[in-house]
Amino acid sequence: MMRDHSRIEEFLAIRSIGGLDPQDEAELEREMASHGPDCQECRRLQAEYEETAGRLAFALDPVAVRDGVAEETFERAFGRAEPAGGRPGVPARRRGWLRPLVGVAAAIVLFAGGVIVGTAVTGEKPNEKTVLTFQSETEPGTLAAAFTPGSSGVYMVGTGLPPLPEGKVYELWLFTGDTPASAMCAVPTADGAVFGFSDASLEGVGLMAVTVESSDCPSAPTTQPVFTAEVSA
Amino acid sequence: MAATLLLEHVDARTRTEARVTADLSEARDRELVQRIERGDEDAFRGLFGRYAPSAMALARRVARQPFLAEEIVQEAFLAVWRNPSGYDQQRGSVRAWLMGMVHHRAVDAIRREESQRRRVEESMVSDPVVSPDPADDVADQIDLPEERKAVRAALDALPDEQRQVIELMYFDGLSQSKISEQLGLPLGTVKSRTLLGMRRLRGAIGGSAR
Repeated sequence: MMRDHSRIEEFLAIRSIGGLDPQDEAELEREMASHGPDCQECRRLQAEYEETAGRLAFALDPVAVRDGVAEETFERAFGRAEPAGGRPGVPARRRGWLRPLVGVAAAIVLFAGGVIVGTAVTGEKPNEKTVLTFQSETEPGTLAAAFTPGSSGVYMVGTGLPPLPEGKVYELWLFTGDTPASAMCAVPTADGAVFGFSDASLEGVGLMAVTVESSDCPSAPTTQPVFTAEVSA
Repeated sequence: MAATLLLEHVDARTRTEARVTADLSEARDRELVQRIERGDEDAFRGLFGRYAPSAMALARRVARQPFLAEEIVQEAFLAVWRNPSGYDQQRGSVRAWLMGMVHHRAVDAIRREESQRRRVEESMVSDPVVSPDPADDVADQIDLPEERKAVRAALDALPDEQRQVIELMYFDGLSQSKISEQLGLPLGTVKSRTLLGMRRLRGAIGGSAR
């Protein structure tokens, strides 16, 4: 017959969220000791209340971590200074795929004169009207980004693109150094066309890449890029 | 009738998808911890990137001092790096384990503070749990929307008096006797409300990650 766990349960529930007074803590220890270390019910209750309490943290909206905190933490953990450019939220393993691509991605700069993107490429200074065509080794179709260097705003235009699986979108990333920033998500039409605009700043951006992501548009890339384009200085 | 069945089907599918997402997410976390045990620095960076913003939110909420919160978060993650085998898969999810460490440290820290009473009085006037501090930047890189939705729904479903004591204990770091004193309730009432509320929460979110 199972022993009564009602007292232990009450103590465990309160302790899991940090509210147990010291005298009750001592009583809990005594009660659990009396059940012995192999009491399955005690262990189950403890695990489930600790799980519940730990997950309560996610009721709060996340708070951005100050830049220096991650570097300090890694320095303290690894016993050395972190290389510049490290960034919390983008693991080095994920950032690693970018480095070889920077050299591979060939940029083709065209002056499209508004043919593709209308107002985005109209202006008085031809050298400010830039359309980059993306390179891809795997995807058919044509994808281009149009923007004015140094200004905010970028259009993504594509034709002949393959259909994406349900729930997937193309996501455009703007890289400043190794750091990606999501610019926009877009879904190709049935005939493979895609069009999107973002008012993101292009300042300092050296590379654009497109990945296939879930439709909730994650804020860090989770897949390998299918299109890349290097942005000329 | 057909509409009801359709809604039930959609609801069940949504729950299934959320569960699958949670399982995959937990599997990834466990893999990160296993790699940390082997000294994989990238895995540690990955775990930090994934959970530091949530840890910071919790530490700041409980400790109410940004610099103290940063120290708490650092110490919790360093504890993971130095002793990853402290994680016991049988006792729950990685995320709950990690947040538990942050919470314990934050509660310990504020109980050492002389100014606790003033903070408590301020917190009891306002500051609902799910309202973000407008001064805080929301960290967009966290991909845990289903988790947040589930936890908030579970909290919202509690009777007010149960939610109140749980929030005061967990998010404000008050002990059961302090809550009894602050709310003018018998200690036994505080305990029973906490137990009833935690039982409900356990049923909603306590076992799904194991």
